[in-house]
Amino acid sequence: MGIPTLQGLQTTLSGLMANQASLDVVGQNIANANTPGYARQTAVLETAPPLSVQALSPVTGAGAQLGRGVGVQTIVNIRDSYLNAQYRNENSASSSASTLAESLEQVQSALEEPSSSGLSSQLSTFWGAWNDLASAPTSAAAREAVVSAGSQVAGTIKQLSGQIAGASTEATERYESLMGESGEVHSDAEQIAQLNGQIKVSEQAGQQPNELLDRREALIDQLSGFAEVNVSEGEYAVVSLSFGGGGTPLVEGTTVNWPPTLSTSSGGQLGALLQLSGPTGKLAGLQEALDGFAESLAGTVNALQPSTPFFSYTAGEAAASIAVSATPAQLQTGGAGEPGANEYALAIAALRGGQAEQQYSAFVTGVGSSVQAAQAARANSEAMLNAVSAQRQSVSGVSLDEEMTNLMTFQRGYEASARALTAMDQMLEQLIEHTGTAGL
Amino acid sequence: MTDRITPAMISSSTLRSIESSMASLDKTSEQLSSGKSILQPSENPFGTGRAIDLQSALAGLSSYSSNIQEAVSWESTASSALGSIGQVVQQVREIALEGANGAQNESDLENLAVEVEQLTEAVKSDANAQYAGAYIFSGTMTETPPYEVSGSDAYKGNEGSIGRTIGPGLTIQIGASAKALLGEGAGSGDGKLLETLRNVVTNLREGTPAAREALVGGDLEAIEANSQTLIAMQAHVGATIDQLRTAEGRIEQLSVNTSAALSNTENANIAQVSIQYASEQAGYEAALKAGASIVQMSLLQFLN
Repeated sequence: MGIPTLQGLQTTLSGLMANQASLDVVGQNIANANTPGYARQTAVLETAPPLSVQALSPVTGAGAQLGRGVGVQTIVNIRDSYLNAQYRNENSASSSASTLAESLEQVQSALEEPSSSGLSSQLSTFWGAWNDLASAPTSAAAREAVVSAGSQVAGTIKQLSGQIAGASTEATERYESLMGESGEVHSDAEQIAQLNGQIKVSEQAGQQPNELLDRREALIDQLSGFAEVNVSEGEYAVVSLSFGGGGTPLVEGTTVNWPPTLSTSSGGQLGALLQLSGPTGKLAGLQEALDGFAESLAGTVNALQPSTPFFSYTAGEAAASIAVSATPAQLQTGGAGEPGANEYALAIAALRGGQAEQQYSAFVTGVGSSVQAAQAARANSEAMLNAVSAQRQSVSGVSLDEEMTNLMTFQRGYEASARALTAMDQMLEQLIEHTGTAGL
Repeated sequence: MTDRITPAMISSSTLRSIESSMASLDKTSEQLSSGKSILQPSENPFGTGRAIDLQSALAGLSSYSSNIQEAVSWESTASSALGSIGQVVQQVREIALEGANGAQNESDLENLAVEVEQLTEAVKSDANAQYAGAYIFSGTMTETPPYEVSGSDAYKGNEGSIGRTIGPGLTIQIGASAKALLGEGAGSGDGKLLETLRNVVTNLREGTPAAREALVGGDLEAIEANSQTLIAMQAHVGATIDQLRTAEGRIEQLSVNTSAALSNTENANIAQVSIQYASEQAGYEAALKAGASIVQMSLLQFLN
């Protein structure tokens, strides 16, 4: 038995087709070189099943197997699921750290310290005004100056308190908007569930749905910024996704278990927002420290103004409610009926550098330290994220140089296949047109 | 295996370098333009707390310093008032001796008595000395003159004292009561200057041998005792002024030290920051250059 006459045509045709498919994949890679979440693809080539030719050898009668060309086995995308998991961990950590840092930085910049316009210099002016009043207890101008410096201090404390409360409200609102029924988390989860269904159908049909997988990976990456995610892949590439350390998976096949249970240790933006807001959050802690300072300031000054309290405030929310309650005429510099007496004014001026001021300076140091810690955490996790991201790019990213080289390789392969086809054709032409015509 | 390097990796890392160079350049230029090394508490939380404490301490020192200036002026006013009372006491002593020597006739004695009466009013008006609108010898009743000139000899002030803080935890008393020196006049039995002066006037007018005897006897002794009190008061005022001067020197020294500490804490070292700025600028330029040239490199440029 010989080799079928037209077999060569089929073999070279398969070469043309395989090279063409590979070129198509190269084209797809180049087209998506800058698409976020795109993982480069490769056409996996395999040799076609050979043709058994029996008794090929006229001497021994042994047969042989003749290759029948090449085929595209599948088109795969290249990704590393370990790097993906690492990327998502770092992404959660990084967005958690930057959410914390941003919010605390907002409070920090409201402090305007150290500067000549911050509360510390206003307090200094306030003590100075009391000192001036002690020197001139009968001066109406000195009394006015004390009340006005006091009002400025009270106003700034109130403003700071309002800014901290505002940051806390903002954190709560951001959390609620992200976690709402129409928020991003829910919509991402729904899309992942839907993609799970589509991917399953493709996989069951034996096709690898690269584009669907890319889209799902991108969505999971996005979710990892909101809270920690944990992905486990089951049959037919269907993933089950736990979110924010909750017990029940957020996405299970095509089902979304809404809403997920989150806590301050959920990581990501949402975990950070929970750490910031709420009655035990970081911002409430700052508010409490500011309240402590305001109460101690008002308390120590009022203790030295026996007839009319200088500051009024509501206990428990001193910073938000502090105000000057005394009028200039009501200020008491010393014993009643002694216009020149100044022991109270002296004692208040001597509060400079005292308990209240130390509390304030500790408050500023505390805010500074927590911002510093959050910024350091952000810098660390961003560096890690960049490193993992680069590694991931290294595995899955499109290298144009590589694609160009592949382009040339497959182009040449295609040309060579075409040349082989031409040779086949010429051979057949010889057979058909010129054979058996001897003597004609 | 060599890592695959993709254009996306190069462009994102170039972008990151440009951004971080720019961020540090921004911070350094802010330090240069503001002259401060701490721009936000988070850059140095401990330093910020310290800067706040030091600024407050410095403002405190400057108020001590103005308190001292003010107290010195107050005490100087007191000192000159006491000085002029001292001159009066001296004059009265001479008048008393003159009235006692027996060569004076009745009208001479009357003239001397009138002179002492005028001197008495001068003493009261000296005791009514004011500093910046406050009567300095009225205790804490600074709006009330201690004595009524051409009126009763009753003391109108009180015994209260006025404090001035002149250093951390250091308060001195500057207000004084004139009653300790002047007393409450004739018949009060306190033996103070006004009673002595009134007695001298009475004895001069009487002109009897017994009255003359009293002028060089009891009255002269009383004048002596009064001038001792006066000298003690002057010495006290002098000692207070000395104390204030010493405190002033100390506060100045403290201000210098505190300013230096504050400057170390919050001021930028301009030379160092300038050099840092120059090197960061070079780094930024290098990152920009990399962005402009390296990122464009590709195999595509070499293929036909």
